[in-house]
Amino acid sequence: MRLTSKWKLSFNIFLTFMLLSGCGFKDIDKRFFVVSIGVDLAKNSSKKYLVSLKFAVPKTTRESPAEYQIVSEEANSISEAVRIIKTKVDKEIDFSHTKVILLGEELVKRRGNAGVNYWFVRRRDVQSIAWIAVGKPSALAVLKVKPTSEYFPSNALFLALGKDGSETPYVISEFMYDFKFRAIERGIDPVLPIIKAKKDFLEINTVGLFNKSKMLLELQPEETKMLNFFLNREEKSSLWGKKGQTNMIVNTEKVKSKYKIYTPKGKRPYIQFDVSVDGVLEETTKRIANKQLSKYEKVIGKQFSKEALRVLRKIQKAGLDPVGFGLRYRSRHFNDNDWKEWQRIYPTIDFKVHTKVQISDTGLIE
Amino acid sequence: MNDRGGRLLNRYFLYLVLLNMFVNVIIFVPKILIEYRYEGAVMGVVIAVPIGMALTYLYSTAMNQFPEQGLPEIVEQGKHRKLTILFFGTIQFMWFTAGLITLIGFIDILSRFVNPEMPKLGLLGIYLAGIFLIIQLPTQRIMYFLEIVLLINIPLISLIIFKAFINEYLSWDSILEVGTHIFTRPSLKAVAAATYCFSGYMNLIIFNRLIRGKLKIWNFTAILFLGLFNLFTTFLIPIGFHGSDGAQEYLYPWISTSDSLRLVYSPIERAIFLFLMFYMSITLVSVSVHWHVAYELIKGMFKGKISKKKNGLILGYFTVLAVLGVIYFNSLLLNRLTVYWMIFRLGVEIVIVAGFVLWARRRTT
Repeated sequence: MRLTSKWKLSFNIFLTFMLLSGCGFKDIDKRFFVVSIGVDLAKNSSKKYLVSLKFAVPKTTRESPAEYQIVSEEANSISEAVRIIKTKVDKEIDFSHTKVILLGEELVKRRGNAGVNYWFVRRRDVQSIAWIAVGKPSALAVLKVKPTSEYFPSNALFLALGKDGSETPYVISEFMYDFKFRAIERGIDPVLPIIKAKKDFLEINTVGLFNKSKMLLELQPEETKMLNFFLNREEKSSLWGKKGQTNMIVNTEKVKSKYKIYTPKGKRPYIQFDVSVDGVLEETTKRIANKQLSKYEKVIGKQFSKEALRVLRKIQKAGLDPVGFGLRYRSRHFNDNDWKEWQRIYPTIDFKVHTKVQISDTGLIE
Repeated sequence: MNDRGGRLLNRYFLYLVLLNMFVNVIIFVPKILIEYRYEGAVMGVVIAVPIGMALTYLYSTAMNQFPEQGLPEIVEQGKHRKLTILFFGTIQFMWFTAGLITLIGFIDILSRFVNPEMPKLGLLGIYLAGIFLIIQLPTQRIMYFLEIVLLINIPLISLIIFKAFINEYLSWDSILEVGTHIFTRPSLKAVAAATYCFSGYMNLIIFNRLIRGKLKIWNFTAILFLGLFNLFTTFLIPIGFHGSDGAQEYLYPWISTSDSLRLVYSPIERAIFLFLMFYMSITLVSVSVHWHVAYELIKGMFKGKISKKKNGLILGYFTVLAVLGVIYFNSLLLNRLTVYWMIFRLGVEIVIVAGFVLWARRRTT
């Protein structure tokens, strides 16, 4: 009996200890939530980076406009900047709602930013599913834009980069973990969307292509759309074709692209791209009879192939590989030096694109 | 319970194996496999499947000759009392450390992702309170507990695995790239880590008390397919997400992978919290099962019922080592030690299985 009472006593003592640990949590009103982070190069200063955190200011009603606060700090590393920013705000900084990470254009054009990229991954509280993008002219400028349609801070960015809001082939959004994957994996290179800050809206229609350490090439909007098709990310889009005097626009519903790498002996290796497009005729300058539709399908297909080839060659010339041809090559070859082989093959490889367009509908009229 | 031997599957046996397959994520199996992905992990996994299956088959069929008896009951009437005590005293340590590594690993994960401000010993205290309540229960009731936990959690984990497989960012090329290293000489460390997925059968040493009737061939077929699927998922899905070159950088590849899953229309967007919730209960029940085995083995060293004082001593021994473990092992050290523990475990397992099978054969004929 004595033993049980001792047990009870020690259990009670243990319970009281549990009460003491009450300060383990900080209440939600004592936290300051970071919704987006921007990293730029520091200007006119001896420090390396300019780190800006965009905090959401909680509001009690939904009617009041979205309020936010941006705190910036120059420092040689992100963690240093965050430590200093901590002294400027009254609450505990919380990164668990950070959903967008912006890197300034200047920053990504300089090599050796691995430390910056790794900071986000190493932190346990920054989501791996945060989007990462390039801010133009600077990350801070993008953070400062306040679109009028915004419910809460940075929501416009979340909606534009995620697929829940607008769906467009001009945006190739990128998650933190996928960026890191591409930045390390041999045979596939990172792609980041470029967000341009306008007066009171944001424009996202180009992407920047990276090698393993910096941004080398910026694609035009139409080229971005092509790359999007190669990556099979977004299918709703439009294509145009011209035959004689007739212009036409096809609204695509399904775009599937497949590729295969051929290395015939003694011949030049090539990549065969097969794209199949399924779409609806949306706009023409002349009436097109349904019988003639197949001719027009071919015209659009040819136009598409030509454009695709141009983009592929442009990317190849820059020595980049956002689609992952190298990784595909590595995954299909059992020898250990396949990566070295590929580096030799890629600059001279040929591309062949075959596009099959099918117009399944001409809308409500013929 | 009256349909003795009439069932196609013995579900209790399956649960025990399944539990180990789930918990390998915490006990660094993916980390070890991914680390050796170019140095023989693929071949290691391929070899581990027949090894694991053979051990499972031999041991459980041998155990099956003593229905509804754990090892302490089987050897109770034996002559070599001292040898038994020595044997139990040594092997209980394997189960205890298995539970301990899981517990320390998961407390580290919890303090990283869920409650960084709470001291680790506080988390340990909460877990130990739960575990000590459970391990002193009769074996049958622990099995009920295990069944309930699995029943609740299997839909959850199925959803996460399903979401991982259909994710458009999952790079099958990276997975295949690792697959092309299949002809590399297998590494022992990878083999040892991969066989852990199958080693749930070892819990039969006590849990055989609940196994009625003969184990059917269906049990083993199910384990084979579950094991293959489990190893594939454990090893290759993180590689598909983080790359054949990049995945080895993560300390907990599967936790990071679950953080890479986005459940757009669910109440919680980050799948990691679902995943952690799932593993909170899986870890609790897994450590409880392992420590229950250790506890019962220690109890088997004494004749008859044990006194309260001895009971307290056993729990005290568990507590002291757990507290020391949490204080002294950070996750890096734990990871390094686990690699060697895995190899040691495989060796001990083979010795126990071989010894028991031979002993059982002599005993029954």
